[in-house]
Amino acid sequence: MKKISDERLVLRNLQNIKITYIVQTIGILGILGYELAQGGVEGMRQNPLWLVFMLTSVVYAYMTMSVSVEHETKMKDPKKSLMISVVVLILIALVVAYLTSITPNFGYGDGGLIGAIIFICGYIPCHYVYRLRQKQQEDLEDDE
Amino acid sequence: MKNNVKVARIKADLTQQQLADEVGITRQTVSLIEKGKYNPSLKLCLQICYAVHGKLDDLFWVEKEEFE
Repeated sequence: MKKISDERLVLRNLQNIKITYIVQTIGILGILGYELAQGGVEGMRQNPLWLVFMLTSVVYAYMTMSVSVEHETKMKDPKKSLMISVVVLILIALVVAYLTSITPNFGYGDGGLIGAIIFICGYIPCHYVYRLRQKQQEDLEDDE
Repeated sequence: MKNNVKVARIKADLTQQQLADEVGITRQTVSLIEKGKYNPSLKLCLQICYAVHGKLDDLFWVEKEEFE
């Protein structure tokens, strides 16, 4: 097959992919909704489609971050924003770790583990946004 | 958007298909551009200008009053 060089058709192809993605997502949500009604949350999670849905959601969320950073009208200091995010994240992780550790059948070890997981999972997007803001700042500095 | 691609193409003695082949697009796209139903990218505008030996200003310039 010949590679499409017509920009109008390339754009239409992208729009087709967008529509396909919407239809696919509706299908996945329909199946997961049915599983939820049949076997509850656990039943839904056992379906591999749940993993596919979560993975695409995470990928989409990361892609949206770059759009959000470019959409910011006020320039934010990347380091300051990262610091604020990390402090808030540490507080949330500590509160969750404490609450987990005082829950019956759970110990300090479990609390520490949950806190560490929350911190790591939260730190990755914070750092990603920091890198995006830094890159944006560099690009804008080139322009001045 | 309104443009003068059709006039420039006829002046250059090219058919829609010839222009399309030279620029690497489909004939339908040339037709839609001439009718003003598809806005080409700046890159494509320049390629069309090179193909019909025209200037961007002559082919695609629209006066502010006519700008929709």
